[in-house]
Amino acid sequence: MKVPGRLQRLAAGLLLSGLIPALAAAQGTTLSGRVTGESGAPLASASVRIPELSLGALTGADGRYSFTVPATSVRGQAVTIMARRLGYEPHSVAATLTGTGIVTDFRLTQAATALNEVVVTALGIERKKSQLGTAVQQVDNAELNTTHDLNVVNQLEGKVSGVTINASGTQGGSSRILIRGANSITGNNQPLFIVDGTAVSNNAIGSDANGSGRGLDFGSVINDINPEDVANISVLKGPNAAAIYGSRAANGVVLITTRRGQRSGGIRTQATSGVTWEQPSILPTYQNQYGQGAGGQFKFVNGKGGGVQDGNDQSYGPKLDGRLIDQFTGPQQPWIAHPDNVSSFFNTGRTIVNNVSFSGGTDRANARASIGSEAVGGIIPNNTFQKFTGLLSADMNVSSRLSATANVQYVANNGHNRAGVGYNTGILEQFIWFGRQVDMNALRNYYTDNGQLFNWNYNYHNNPFYLQYANPELDQRDHIIAGGSATYKVADWLNASLRSGTDFYRYNINQNYAPGNINFTNLAFQGGFYYRNDYSSQNNTQLLFTANKGVGSRLQLNATAGGNHRYAAYRYNTTASSSILAADIYNPSNSAVSPTIGLYDERRATNSVYGTGSFTWSDFWTVEVTGRNDWSSTLPKGNNSYFYPSISSSLVVTDMLPSVKGNFLSYLKLRGSIAEVGNDAEPYQLQTVYVGNANKFGSLPQYTLNDQVANVNLKPEQTKSSEAGVEVGFFDNRITLDASVYNKTTTNEIVNVTVSPASGFTSAAVNAGKMQNKGFEALLNIVPIRTSGGFEWTSTINYAANKNTLVALAPGLQTIVLGSTWTLNTEARVGQPYGSLFGNGFLRDSATGQLLTSGGFPIKDPNRRVLGNINPTWVGGWNNTVSFGPFTASALIDVHKGGQIFSVSNMFGQYAGVFAESLKGREVDWNNPGLVIQGIDQQTGKPNTINVTAEDYFQNLFEIHEAFIYDDSWVKLRELRVGVELPASFTSRLRISALNIALVGRNLWTHSNVPNIDPEFSYQTGNYQGAEFAALPTTRSLGFNVRITP
Amino acid sequence: MPNKFTAIAAGVLLAAGALACNNDTITNLNQNPNNPTSAPPGPVFTQAVRLSASRFIGNGFALRQTEFVAQHWAEVQYPDEDRYARLGPADVQGTFNGAYVSEIEDLKNVAKGGLAATNPAVYGPASVLLAWDYEYLTDTWGDIPYSMALAGDSASPNFSPVYDAQKDIYTGLLATLTKATTDMATLPNAGGFGSADPMYGGSVAKWEKFSNSLRARLAMRLVNVDKTTADAQLKAAFAAPGGVFASNADNAQFAWPGDNVYNNPITDNFITRDDHRVSNTFSNILVGNNDPRTPILMQPTLADATKYAGMPNGLNAAPAGTYFLTSSRPGAIFFPGATTAGTIGSSANKKNPSYFMTYAEMSFIQAEAAERGLGGLAAGSAATYYQNGIKASMAQWGVTDQTAINNFLAQPAIAYKGGVEGLKQIAIQKWVALVTDGAQSWAEWRRTCQPSAIAPGPGAVVAYVPRRFQYSTTEYSVNPDNLQAAINRQGPDTFATRMYWDKSPSAAPTCS
Repeated sequence: MKVPGRLQRLAAGLLLSGLIPALAAAQGTTLSGRVTGESGAPLASASVRIPELSLGALTGADGRYSFTVPATSVRGQAVTIMARRLGYEPHSVAATLTGTGIVTDFRLTQAATALNEVVVTALGIERKKSQLGTAVQQVDNAELNTTHDLNVVNQLEGKVSGVTINASGTQGGSSRILIRGANSITGNNQPLFIVDGTAVSNNAIGSDANGSGRGLDFGSVINDINPEDVANISVLKGPNAAAIYGSRAANGVVLITTRRGQRSGGIRTQATSGVTWEQPSILPTYQNQYGQGAGGQFKFVNGKGGGVQDGNDQSYGPKLDGRLIDQFTGPQQPWIAHPDNVSSFFNTGRTIVNNVSFSGGTDRANARASIGSEAVGGIIPNNTFQKFTGLLSADMNVSSRLSATANVQYVANNGHNRAGVGYNTGILEQFIWFGRQVDMNALRNYYTDNGQLFNWNYNYHNNPFYLQYANPELDQRDHIIAGGSATYKVADWLNASLRSGTDFYRYNINQNYAPGNINFTNLAFQGGFYYRNDYSSQNNTQLLFTANKGVGSRLQLNATAGGNHRYAAYRYNTTASSSILAADIYNPSNSAVSPTIGLYDERRATNSVYGTGSFTWSDFWTVEVTGRNDWSSTLPKGNNSYFYPSISSSLVVTDMLPSVKGNFLSYLKLRGSIAEVGNDAEPYQLQTVYVGNANKFGSLPQYTLNDQVANVNLKPEQTKSSEAGVEVGFFDNRITLDASVYNKTTTNEIVNVTVSPASGFTSAAVNAGKMQNKGFEALLNIVPIRTSGGFEWTSTINYAANKNTLVALAPGLQTIVLGSTWTLNTEARVGQPYGSLFGNGFLRDSATGQLLTSGGFPIKDPNRRVLGNINPTWVGGWNNTVSFGPFTASALIDVHKGGQIFSVSNMFGQYAGVFAESLKGREVDWNNPGLVIQGIDQQTGKPNTINVTAEDYFQNLFEIHEAFIYDDSWVKLRELRVGVELPASFTSRLRISALNIALVGRNLWTHSNVPNIDPEFSYQTGNYQGAEFAALPTTRSLGFNVRITP
Repeated sequence: MPNKFTAIAAGVLLAAGALACNNDTITNLNQNPNNPTSAPPGPVFTQAVRLSASRFIGNGFALRQTEFVAQHWAEVQYPDEDRYARLGPADVQGTFNGAYVSEIEDLKNVAKGGLAATNPAVYGPASVLLAWDYEYLTDTWGDIPYSMALAGDSASPNFSPVYDAQKDIYTGLLATLTKATTDMATLPNAGGFGSADPMYGGSVAKWEKFSNSLRARLAMRLVNVDKTTADAQLKAAFAAPGGVFASNADNAQFAWPGDNVYNNPITDNFITRDDHRVSNTFSNILVGNNDPRTPILMQPTLADATKYAGMPNGLNAAPAGTYFLTSSRPGAIFFPGATTAGTIGSSANKKNPSYFMTYAEMSFIQAEAAERGLGGLAAGSAATYYQNGIKASMAQWGVTDQTAINNFLAQPAIAYKGGVEGLKQIAIQKWVALVTDGAQSWAEWRRTCQPSAIAPGPGAVVAYVPRRFQYSTTEYSVNPDNLQAAINRQGPDTFATRMYWDKSPSAAPTCS
């Protein structure tokens, strides 16, 4: 049914409904017809409905349906009749209810969720899932965009089995994504991102959240992708699926395909708008009985120690009983609690997302243009983000033999006044070291009337409002992803295509520090600044031949052969000064001291040739082999060429043996594959270099030998992987399961091993080590209820358990330290899963296991040991969607089971007497009743009887890491959406063809065993994870989303 | 068939294309554009001098760790280090690790290059400073990697060197200093570092003095366990070409640029921190003896501007905090002007020198040698050397009032008594003069038991003053076998184990 234009049709409907209401017949209308598949075979159990009226029926075994619209509902209005069946594309036609019977037949085409689903695989080639021997999971636009997040990666959370995503709480921050566990000990473990055939960077910029450095998470580059433009995301999980992409695909591939124009004729317009409001999902639970100070004492004079304990930033001071005490707000102020002093610092954030797209085309050419914007007012005061995205894509058949495609995306991404994380920069830091009596509202004027800084403490902290309002930070990224290809049909069975793609961005960070900033400026001067410019570009050019030939009637042969040249350049420079002369002039020329400058330049290239060959027998048995050879610039001559093969096979049992197919078993497919992937080194590891120091010592230049020693004999590392999978459907596909087991082993790892510093070096790049990941992952889809009334409940569960083992490191080496915070290391230890938490526990009596005490305090065990491991036992997601008539509701629960984290926030929150836990032992007064720790006195050998104050007890727990290691199990209500497709009778009055309004929420509920903090956090995308300090909580958001199709 | 032809042609093209990419030369792209593979010795030496000072006599190891153990200073707010609670393997590993990979490795390479070029004006100073760095390491930990260390970049790299016995390390360091002096004296001024040497501007003669003085320090350190060697080495050091320090002008020190990029590390610490106070141990000796250095090394208390007072070491946080106003901050000379606590001191203090070794210390070594009849010095000269040391220290810290100095020296408690009492006086005044150099002060206390007031505070986690620090956690991870061999030889890796030169306290007459 071809209609000249939807608008005309709608206008007609509008006219009919508006002008001829009298025609509404006195009798009901019977709708009937037949639903068949493409072959004409009848389809049973298909649902045929009028969503607007919530009426409908299921087809019988003969594919026939029939139902009646009661007379009272017939008003001559335009309605939609929709036929749906699992495994088929829904189809709808328009009709007008006038009282006479309507006969409509539907012929549904197979699609979605079944074996015949077409998925995007390596090189962007669309393949029938039935022919794939490897695990691929595809997430389509609607599923991806259930709700909205600043980072598209976060929108995958809980949706793909085998994928673990850790979002950083910071708005605009980065997210770490791991597919089937970590492969590399010290190298990159992030998957390769490909957007429309172009490899895209996922560099993360910023410093570690725990470091003493800048502590800002500037997000990762993949944040730039506008989720509204995404047609689907295919996750190629193993090296098996990705062997063809080469080295960088050893960690899996995330293939993002953007939407393209339709060739159906006419122009389609779609607009979406959303607004959500955000709040911190979790804030610490504070005590509100004691204010600032130590030893129960406090008196403010100058906030630097001039009074009584007034330089102190702890809350072991006097009881908050209303007594009058000199405070930062003035002399003799009532000493009272401000229970909401932290929560009132936060704003309700607000995100407004708008997107409009136009698409269309003829049979020769099609195009799509999309413009999006996103404006975020952060939960931290004065923090905003703006993103603007533009995407243009086009496809053209130049002639019957030559076709071409092109796409270009431009993204402008601006962040203002991002909130710091971690020590010194962390905005939350001073709410962990805090005076509980502090009135947050009093801090809003951060300068006094005579221009002096105003704060509750002048020793260790900046006023948080001053940080956000007077120390402007601005970062801007201009990002372009552009690609084009031309395909020439050499013969009916042979195509040749040339594709070239570029991904490049420039990123500027401007951070100014106002006079008086304790952490980043020299107080003798008028402030400071930090400027950074990044430039990254990556080009891939590829020539590919694709052959596809049938031999006889049953054998199909496919082959590809190609070559690729990759060139990547990365460069950044920094200029910083902690001392400027004239206030407000943030320019190196105004620096009172030599500014610190830095430049880093990196280039690398890879040449590759590769090929694939496959045969498919009778559409049910496929065998594919692939091979690739890379030449990498980062490996030494002689070792820089490496080859890696793969073989995979799939067998559709239900097609091979049609007799097994029935009401119980709808389909069954088995698959398996074995693959190898080689990997090269990071650049510049072949020569030991001297590192210069841009800062002269007085006037003297300085050099030092680099701490990493070179290795001229590096070899490529290798990941070998095997996997087997089953895809099965039962009860007419109402239950489908896609499950895989895999075993991956990376050997010859290029590891920067920690060596004895007495060798003169901290690390050496060596080929050593072996890491194994074994796992199971499953995606289960169930339709428990589907009624003739149009009620449908779909439940999707994904589950993944990965067991990682570091089998070996270099000879004699037991561990590599991945990172350390307050002497708690995250390590790669032989025999343990990657990411051991290694530090100090309690010293215990070996016989009874009781704590040993000394002077009434627990004792730190000087023998450090493994206290936990960051790897979850399993992760999963459970999504439920219920649809009834025009209403659809879905809820996604994200589960993270097991693993441990070290929480520095909890350590210092207790040390500083700020968190609620620190009330223990001072229920009556600061030193009363005190604590008698249950344990055995080390000196006497008898039970401890010494009473200690809460203050001394909690401060003695410092760096006894065991006390602050928590089980990292959590459950989150990740997504919630309740949407309604407004009836045509309503939308037609608005002169639009479709309108969907939804209530959307993210992270609405969290259950976790970790007190006071959001258990989900990450330090950017690197390998150092598992230790938290002053991490910002993820946001809980709630709002609306509107999708309009004119 | 044209199509077939096209396919073949394309295949050939592809293969040719792959070859044309010239995969053998692709590695040339991997030449590091950021950093050179060699550097001239001068700038490497400059950085090694700076890092040596920052590491061992700067604001971490000295100001926050060893100075609390040596009890010149105490912690008023975060007393963990003062309670020895934050001196564990993970807390001190930075000093151990950093010294080896930074200045020691660099000095080795500079010395190696100088030796290859037969230029003692290069390898002489580099070897002397290398020995100085090693001395701080071994005096802190005892047995450490030495003979097989620094071979990570040799043809067959050694990434886990053995630990040498401290006795052998001392032998090695004394030999290094002997050779450095001898060679510098026989082949002087063959093109030294010039201005790249922030300590002596390239003066080989001064480096000879430093070498000999350091040799004397090492020799005296051995006196309780090997008096014969101590005697012989002291004698040789005093007689070596160039002699030992003879005035403050000879001091091994350099002034910091004070440009806010490189400030004196102690003043740099006080820009943002106000948690140091003078220890009772130090205050009692300064104030109790009307020491003219008192108003320079201490500030009046915040509570009473007429009063100088110390506080006990090793308190728990709450009692420590009560001393915030009632005990003295370290002297204004250590403060940089603008600080978070207000303006204290002068911004010129950012240029204050760091003292690697001083004439004052040298004089006290001579005084002790004379009193003990070592090194060929006349026993009667001890009093003079003792007074030289006090006067040198007064001058070094800026006391110019000669009357005050003479009055101080004339006091019965200070006037030199000779004998064991004289040795105690020498040890105490040496400890006073060594303020800011926590490691030396601590080592001298271990050797001489003076000042005898040094004892663990009430909050201390062990009931004794540490005799050493525990080994680096990195070494436990990556060099466990050699580390274990060292522990088997030296004793358990605890604060209590005494190192080689600390084994015979009864041999020290000042310990009774």
